[in-house]
Amino acid sequence: MPYLIVHEEGCIGCHTCEMVCSLSHEGVINPDLSRIHVLGYKGEKFPVMCLQCEDAPCELVCPMGAIHMQNGVRMVDDEKCIRCKMCTLVCPVGGVLYDYINNKMIRCDLCGGDPQCAKYCPMNVIEVVPDDAVPEARKRGVRVLYGEAD
Amino acid sequence: MFGYAGKILFIDLTSRVVRTEPTEKYAADFLGGRGIATKIAYDLIPAEANAFDPENALIMMTGPLTGAAPSSSRIDIVSLSPVTNLLGGSSAGGDFGAVLKFAGYDGIVITGKAEKPMGIRIIDDEVTFHDAEHCWEYDVYDTVDCIKRLGREDVQVACIGKAGANLVKTAGISFSKRNLAARGGLGAVMGSKNLKAIAVAGTKGVKVRDTKRLMETNLEIERRMLESPAFKKYENWHANISLSLLKARRPYFGDYEEEFWEEAEEAAKNAKKFFEEMATLRPNSCFACPLRCWAWVEYKGEEAPMVACQGTFPAIIFILKIKDPELAWKVYLRLQREGLDIMGTAAVIAYASRVGLVRLGSEEILSLIDEIVNREGPGNVLAEGIKRASEHFGVPAVYVKGGMESWSSDVRPFRGVSLAGAVSESGSISRAIHGFPASSYYTKPEKARKVAKEVAGDESAAEPTSYRGKAKLVAYFEDEHIIADSLGVCDTPMLSIPLELWAEALSAATGMEFTPEKLHFYAGKIRTLERMFNVRRGVDREKDTLSERLFRSVIRSGPWAGVGIDREKFEEMKLEYYRLRGWGENGIPAEETLERYDLEW
Repeated sequence: MPYLIVHEEGCIGCHTCEMVCSLSHEGVINPDLSRIHVLGYKGEKFPVMCLQCEDAPCELVCPMGAIHMQNGVRMVDDEKCIRCKMCTLVCPVGGVLYDYINNKMIRCDLCGGDPQCAKYCPMNVIEVVPDDAVPEARKRGVRVLYGEAD
Repeated sequence: MFGYAGKILFIDLTSRVVRTEPTEKYAADFLGGRGIATKIAYDLIPAEANAFDPENALIMMTGPLTGAAPSSSRIDIVSLSPVTNLLGGSSAGGDFGAVLKFAGYDGIVITGKAEKPMGIRIIDDEVTFHDAEHCWEYDVYDTVDCIKRLGREDVQVACIGKAGANLVKTAGISFSKRNLAARGGLGAVMGSKNLKAIAVAGTKGVKVRDTKRLMETNLEIERRMLESPAFKKYENWHANISLSLLKARRPYFGDYEEEFWEEAEEAAKNAKKFFEEMATLRPNSCFACPLRCWAWVEYKGEEAPMVACQGTFPAIIFILKIKDPELAWKVYLRLQREGLDIMGTAAVIAYASRVGLVRLGSEEILSLIDEIVNREGPGNVLAEGIKRASEHFGVPAVYVKGGMESWSSDVRPFRGVSLAGAVSESGSISRAIHGFPASSYYTKPEKARKVAKEVAGDESAAEPTSYRGKAKLVAYFEDEHIIADSLGVCDTPMLSIPLELWAEALSAATGMEFTPEKLHFYAGKIRTLERMFNVRRGVDREKDTLSERLFRSVIRSGPWAGVGIDREKFEEMKLEYYRLRGWGENGIPAEETLERYDLEW
């Protein structure tokens, strides 16, 4: 499964990702049901979504053991889930969301390997990288923040 | 309903009665956005009402594509304009329109007048009224911040600044801090209703008929936008637009001076330097739009969002003849914070310089803006708009139909612009003229000629000073604008993408089938209804005109030396335009035209 890396410095806050995410998953246009969210502070924009953590707090905190990794994507078992929403509280990035219309927990499922947000992003801010390239891509992000490594 | 949210919210401020009507009632006949808004205005606003009467209605309508296709974020606002006392319309981008639809409403219709200053909050089905007395005189920025602190942070806000509250006739309606439905004095209409702000948050979303087809069409539209050579240019648009306008020979200087402003190029170069070297810019976009035509601009600790448009910075430096970009930036901040139409207010200030109230290019402009906003001293007269100010001072001014301040392009050499200024429903030229070949005749001559050939069947129609083919061009581009405003698409990107694709996106979203021809039919119908609204208020061929001074003014120097408007040829253009529209010689829609469009008086 690929991973998504966000280069937020190029994001223009057009919310196209939210539009296509909710369209492709739910068949409606509703940014609240989108698995990716663009947070904004004045001109700065930060797209956030589930980062598929290794030691995921959501998985650890789930009292029902409903969250587990499946083919490289963290899924929620709707049958086991009791909608206590603890996972939304502990997620450090705000990547776990509650769909209040269909009453279930939702999160990025990488669209089965073809992430629509990356496909539609006009600024190519969302990059799809193979999982073995993630460390390198993340390091690039750190270099943007702190300059070239020694 | 698919594509549409399905309901229109009617709020009467006098009785505080809130009700909804199904959008279905209007959608099949008037499409959406500007079309439905015009229909509601025609039904609700009595022919004898004045703009500030409680009977006037303020109508904000989104289109079926608002929030559903690329570059579609527009909300169209229609009301009786206090500037012209005719139909006034303006539209704005941003996120308000999309969020209003997500809350479950295609539009808001506001009638009546609140007893005391009031704000409205709409969170899905919950519509609440709030006292706004304490913030009545806040500027736009403070109002938005104040509302966001009251509760939900994610609300989108439509509000007026102090100018709107004081019924200044060049006040627009601000959407959050950046987008402005500027023209026609609609902010003053909102002020006259004692309505300070509307805040919206929505969680319902919009259903579409065919998800796959819509997503595919959207991807194709987006691909064409990203591949067009213009896309790259948007990044530096703030820096380059003034020079580019000058190259296209479009700006006018001061109060429509006849002499060319020799320092114009220097001023434009200073503006370029300001955006490239002095200020920091963070490009941003409206909902679902890849174009990033606006940016957060920061300079010396002050910041504001600014749209790279001829109506913002270029209008300030050219009309107010400001060479110093720092002063232009201060003027921008002042006008933006108060929610004033920059083109209109700049024209009023330039006129004030003619009667000796202010020196253009100087700091005095800032204090005059304050006087206009606060209606102090001569500012009280200037706040009434350029036509009434000129009647007061007895010095002729330049304006287009009904007393509307002219557009930022010079009306005299551009025949199409002068025709649009005379015949358009409110004199609001910006609702007719984007994409006009004459505008790019000196920057992209080949493309301009090609467009003129396609639309008017004559390459020479692209020449700005030629009267030939202009009526056809105006009618055609008016139609395109009406389609854009009615669908909720932004007009600049819409014109560069084939209409077939927009029709396809619309069909996919709504489940009704549309073709470009069908959309043009709707446009003709909506345009005729707009005309009927104005005819009911006494507009005819005689009223379709520009201010007297424009016909006497002949440009003396610069690229347009020797150019003026020929009244006879101007009248001929008008006649041709009426003929194309199916309106009689007097500019009144003919019976068979009404029949064709299924319209009734």
